Amino acid sequence: MYAQFFGNYLLSRNIVTREQLIEAMRKKSSSHIRLGTLAIHAGYMTASEVNRVIVLQTHEDKRFGEIAINEGYLTELQVAELLSEQKPDFLLLGQALVEDGIIDHEQFQNLIIDYQSDNDLTAFEYSTETKESIRQMIEHFFVLAERPLSTHEISLYHLLMNSLVRFIGDDFTPVPPIRCQEYPANYCVSQEINGAFSVHTYLDIPESACIDFASRYVGETFTEFDEYVRASLEDFLNLLNGLFIVNMSNDCSIELTLDPPVVEETESLLTFQEETYLLPIVYPFGTIYFIITLHNRK
Amino acid sequence: MLDTVKILIGDDSILARKKLKDIILQYGTPLFLEAKDGQETVDLYKKESPDLVFLDIVMPEKDGNTAIREIIDFDKDADIIIVSSVGTQSQLKAAIEAGAKDFIQKPVQPEIIHHIIASRFEGR
Repeated sequence: MYAQFFGNYLLSRNIVTREQLIEAMRKKSSSHIRLGTLAIHAGYMTASEVNRVIVLQTHEDKRFGEIAINEGYLTELQVAELLSEQKPDFLLLGQALVEDGIIDHEQFQNLIIDYQSDNDLTAFEYSTETKESIRQMIEHFFVLAERPLSTHEISLYHLLMNSLVRFIGDDFTPVPPIRCQEYPANYCVSQEINGAFSVHTYLDIPESACIDFASRYVGETFTEFDEYVRASLEDFLNLLNGLFIVNMSNDCSIELTLDPPVVEETESLLTFQEETYLLPIVYPFGTIYFIITLHNRK
Repeated sequence: MLDTVKILIGDDSILARKKLKDIILQYGTPLFLEAKDGQETVDLYKKESPDLVFLDIVMPEKDGNTAIREIIDFDKDADIIIVSSVGTQSQLKAAIEAGAKDFIQKPVQPEIIHHIIASRFEGR
């Protein structure tokens, strides 16, 4: 899971210009990932080894993998593994920049390492208990849903846990999720994710817990249930969903959009026609509730 | 620094605007203009011609990308930086093609804002 899109990372570090990035994004949609790119990403080959194989390829009519095996850079097993594993889509963008001569293989290799260590959310320090409760929560979902969870769903639940650890604190306990048809709202905000699939996300927090939630999220001490405190719920939900669609774009080339967050009517009864889950998260300052409705499930 | 600088912040979240202002205030005291949707951002831009715009994408009443296009139509040299949680490939492309100069992924890292401010206004 990543904190930002690879192209954005390159742009913010002035590695590419806006024009070069747009050109590479256009080009990548029509290109195939190369074994050399994958080998660099997996750490099996260095950039100079990849360069050497490419040079050898101009003399011998052989495939990249074949030469790399002959030269002892890769084993047959590694080649098979590289070709079968799922590849994050952002590698294609880097490859397009190499092909355009904007960066070379060495830079690409270093960029991948920097990008992953700077932006890898999974590397975030979880305590053992947190890891265990996340594992349990996902497992509960499998049982509850009576069907395999899609990778998108799992990714959203992981990001939720991750965002809680990053922005609110890791002293929480997720309660096993519950199938839900109606829910009495306290102070509740919601946001729609649309595109190849649709998800409606809700964050509901009793007023008494909102102030502590906001104080932790913003890093300031709030004392009243004021507009900043209320805005913090929308802000958090928007951040979580934003990171989710960035990851879908970066990893799977699935482009989704977000609607602006909406404040639900206070103390109204929310009713759900479609598959909906309630996820209570217990913090020392109170319980916060996530609700996720999955639309268009066949 | 920044005493003579006008910065427009277009974001529907009062909290996001506050957080950005708090970061910028570490580097100087510009005149802040605030808009809570895309339409207000465009209107304020035309009225005040700010030196720099920080703009969210997902907003009610005209999204950020439409706002960029309308501002660029009015002033092709407008200096617009997107600050958004939705830095996907298609959003990044759309914003840059509309005329944004940069795209910052939320949560905002203060050093990136500092870099943007310093590269434009240092010595002013």
